[in-house]
Amino acid sequence: MKMKYAFAAAGLALAAAPAMAQETATIGVSIPAATHGWAGGMNFHAQEAVDRLEETYENLDFVLTTASDPSKQVSDIEDMVATRNIDALVVLPFESEPLTGPVARVAENGTWVTVVDRGLAQDGIEDLYVAGDNPGFGRVSGEYFVENMPEGGNIVVLRGIPTTIDNERVEGFQQAIEGAGIEILAMEHGNWNRDDAFTVMQDFLSKYPDIDAVWASDDDMAVGALAAIEQAGRSDEMWVLGGAGMKEMVQRVMEEDEMIPADVTYPPAMIATAIELTALNFVSNAPVSGDFIIGSVLITPENAEDFYYPDSPF
Amino acid sequence: MTDAPPILALDAVSRRFGPVQVLFDVDFSLRAGEVHALIGENGAGKSTTMKILAGYLEASEGRILLDGQPIRFASSEGAEDAGIVMIHQEFNLAEQLTVEQNVFLGREKRKGLFLDHRAMQAETRVLLDRLQCKVAPKARVSDISVPDKQMVEIAKALSRDARVLIMDEPTAVLTNREAEVLFAQIERLRAAGVAILYTSHKLDEVARIADRITVLRDGHVVLSQPADGLSEDAMAAAMVGREMEDLYPAKRQRVPGTPVLEVENLTVPGVVQEASFTLAKGEILGFAGLVGAGRTELMEGIVGLRQTHGSVRVNGQPLRPGSVDAAKRAGLVYLTEDRKERGLLLNKSLKDNLTLLALDKFTHGLIDRKGEEAALDNAIKEFDIRTPSRDIAAGNLSGGNQQKLLIAKTMLADPDIVIIDEPTRGIDIGTKQQIYDFIHHLAEKGHSVIFISSEMPEVIGLAERVVVMRSGRIAGELTGSDINEQAIVRLAMGLKDTPTEMAEA
Amino acid sequence: MSVAETTGKPAGAAPRRGIDLHVLGPLVALAVLVVIGILLNPNFLSYANITNVLARSAFIGIIAVGMTFVITAGGLDLSVGSMAAFIAGLMILVMNAALPFTGVSVLTILIGVATALVAGLVAGAINGLLVTKAGIEAFIVTLGTMGIYRSLVTWLADGGTLSLDFDLRGLYRPVYYDGILGVAWPIIVFAVVALLAEIAMRHTAFGRHCAAIGSNEQVARYSAVHVDRARTATYVLLGLLVGVATIMYVPRLGSASSSTGVLWELEAIAAVIIGGTMLKGGFGRVWGTVVGVLILSLIGNILNLTDLVSPYLNGAIQGVIIILAVVLQRTKRAAR
Repeated sequence: MKMKYAFAAAGLALAAAPAMAQETATIGVSIPAATHGWAGGMNFHAQEAVDRLEETYENLDFVLTTASDPSKQVSDIEDMVATRNIDALVVLPFESEPLTGPVARVAENGTWVTVVDRGLAQDGIEDLYVAGDNPGFGRVSGEYFVENMPEGGNIVVLRGIPTTIDNERVEGFQQAIEGAGIEILAMEHGNWNRDDAFTVMQDFLSKYPDIDAVWASDDDMAVGALAAIEQAGRSDEMWVLGGAGMKEMVQRVMEEDEMIPADVTYPPAMIATAIELTALNFVSNAPVSGDFIIGSVLITPENAEDFYYPDSPF
Repeated sequence: MTDAPPILALDAVSRRFGPVQVLFDVDFSLRAGEVHALIGENGAGKSTTMKILAGYLEASEGRILLDGQPIRFASSEGAEDAGIVMIHQEFNLAEQLTVEQNVFLGREKRKGLFLDHRAMQAETRVLLDRLQCKVAPKARVSDISVPDKQMVEIAKALSRDARVLIMDEPTAVLTNREAEVLFAQIERLRAAGVAILYTSHKLDEVARIADRITVLRDGHVVLSQPADGLSEDAMAAAMVGREMEDLYPAKRQRVPGTPVLEVENLTVPGVVQEASFTLAKGEILGFAGLVGAGRTELMEGIVGLRQTHGSVRVNGQPLRPGSVDAAKRAGLVYLTEDRKERGLLLNKSLKDNLTLLALDKFTHGLIDRKGEEAALDNAIKEFDIRTPSRDIAAGNLSGGNQQKLLIAKTMLADPDIVIIDEPTRGIDIGTKQQIYDFIHHLAEKGHSVIFISSEMPEVIGLAERVVVMRSGRIAGELTGSDINEQAIVRLAMGLKDTPTEMAEA
Repeated sequence: MSVAETTGKPAGAAPRRGIDLHVLGPLVALAVLVVIGILLNPNFLSYANITNVLARSAFIGIIAVGMTFVITAGGLDLSVGSMAAFIAGLMILVMNAALPFTGVSVLTILIGVATALVAGLVAGAINGLLVTKAGIEAFIVTLGTMGIYRSLVTWLADGGTLSLDFDLRGLYRPVYYDGILGVAWPIIVFAVVALLAEIAMRHTAFGRHCAAIGSNEQVARYSAVHVDRARTATYVLLGLLVGVATIMYVPRLGSASSSTGVLWELEAIAAVIIGGTMLKGGFGRVWGTVVGVLILSLIGNILNLTDLVSPYLNGAIQGVIIILAVVLQRTKRAAR
């Protein structure tokens, strides 16, 4: 089942309804630390959602923790269960495998579990799954390339940190461009990092005299790639497609920058969706269990304004 | 006793390091129940001989015979398995382990899967008791004193039921009393039928405990005979290859000059209490006392290496405390007794070592490398530093030559006052004499010298005035004809009923 | 004849003459990498690629040069990567804050530059004083400050990215991308820093004192060396050079975030060791560090320029080469 983004907005509106008198519920939120731009945005939205909901509902308590590695995250969750006696857990797993066992134990106690973005290694543990659509993210990006390179051409690809997410995106992308005459000259990991992407792109530019477009697959990496292209003085040869919807990039799309003709969403605000829906479970009778997949949407100059959040850090 | 067949023997052994031959057809044998002393100047080949016997080195030519059978040790472990144990001058102890763990290192007692701590501790205790060593088996080796470490080394050897015990200058770090305990132990081992190889630079010790003496000179055996009837002078003559002239330079008759160093009520917390003394221009002032009396600590306090209370004046000017550099600038330098750990950078070149203290003399923005090279040339010549190459690391020099390098390094700072701490420890007699001459000339030229030594003959032979320390305090001062061994010992041991002038505060 | 009686080292060991792989090792490794690069891709020697490799080596390189002194004096600094990120963030904040008063002008940039240098100096002094005056292990002190600076930059950036004002970036940008006579500024700065440091290491009392302290602190103390002062100075120098590296880094992308400078400390330390400086101190050479930095950069560059190896294995290749470079030097030394 796939609900659309608009549905989430409806849910949020619902959440803003006056609080019902109920027992106090504690909701634990465990997310990775802000180690790159997207995660930074996600942290921002998580904090914001928690602040807003705490203010709205007197009977809701929140515990927010950020972890810099999977084992720290496991400890965080154990601490929440042991010392705060949480009624619900919203978790964005650092990695799927190491978190599956600990989260499953939390679920066994009857605690409500919401998993965000990265699925656990085992099905059926969580009550609610809120995630972006990674194969879809790759597919939407790939379709954009096919559409805008009707005669085919040469592209290079910057990949993220080697993870399932990255693999799903790249597979989706490759399937979408199959048979369109687009040749991927090379793929290297830029690790969703500006500096790494800059270095990799410099070397791509040295190696290939003929590049028509770059799939940077992430807006942070797009920033690095753009700087390298600009340095090489080859800005008029190619364009760059990033991803995630960083505000600076959305702004450039809005301004019809030729190097950044479009962007693909993968909203870090999905953590807020997950927290809101989880809260809804405790303050309303609305059914919220199930899978909630937030589709990736293509941002073009026409619709860019809808995706521009100047206050967000991302 | 000399008729017993040898347990371990060298038969016409030679040894080369690259093109350099250091042993020439050496015959040497160790018999059960016999103490065989091996003596010679530094560089004569003693260490090489011992290392070949203990399996650390192989012979280039010749045979090693164990119980009359030729044998080749694969390693020192192989030799140990055959009951041959060597006690090194630089200890072979793991500093961070306890005494007990060291004694049983590599042959721990087990009870099933686990270590049998109780049995090992008990046995260590027994061994240490035999050596009259009071160290606790559970003490960490890094925390115990140098003589105790020596005892632990010996206990370790005893625990291995050694048939042959090779001791490389065991008394170099021991006080007389500790040495007595060691000699008693050697007696016991001898009586128990252990063959003992003993080296020392202290010829009186050798004369006392050795049954047989072999003298090496430049890699050749020049003398090998029963100890009876061999005088210390004869030993020294055989080592040096010439008759020993008077070891010490003639004492100078001189009027005390103006005081250049005045130390008043100087306390080094925990080790020295309220020491006061003065040093005159052109004087050699001896500092005597037992090991641990606080002489080194007092001197380190004076030059700024330790925290102090009290006052130090150099040429009438108060010296800023706590700064070695300030002392150096005032013309006061200290030559440490521990040349390996505190004196020289063993893995650095001779040149880097030589100029480290006086580097500012060679630095005009950048370091004057040519000047450094010239200084090294000069030092090698002036101090007779014998080295195969000027490019080797300081650690590759022999002990005596390291000492000369350390002296050269100190003198490069052009000091007025030199404090020399135990400069002759572990050094052969020829080099000792060079150092005595050097000190003598230094004073002749108007420098002032404080000379610390635990060897009483040295202090008596060199110093014009002697300060004796005991338990962190200055116990007394001797001058002129009052300087004799008995008077020093009485002060050092705290026997008050001797007619001595007490030091004026 | 009097050699080696007490140390047991072979007496006749030949003095160092002729080919010494300890010296040549890193250079040979570098030469081999260059040859491999030329063979694998004709663009390897292009002006653009050479400029890229040298310029991107500059940050780590400048830091590694400072690290050479710290390590030579027997210390270690794990905080430099975080420190660089923190200084970069601080610099951007200060410049953005100054903008309303000073406008898009060179003055604003100079304020940023001064901020970076002062912050580096202070950060280095904090490390140095904690090591010398408080007597805490360098590893622990800098492990602590590493976490502190990393958190501070995340906090300053609110978990996101700090970006330099766009117009200001346009003015500052040439500091990374332009140069004189076709040589980019980062390369020039790196070269000047390396040259001065090489002179300081080999020809000044400071360099000699660093080696003496790292070799044996006691001996240095007994030889009237101001041990604490010299040791603190190595950390201050390193902090200052981190500031310099940051000044070159910020104009490149005009941003700083919590992911800036991650693992730079390890790359810098690796470069120092590949270059032949002893990790336990006592011997250091700056030119070796420069070669080490170039080796590390070239490995990444060559792997990007070719498709020989799966990109998943990049780290493994780097690891093998680091270990190999050091093993080569050590075995040659032992055989000497």
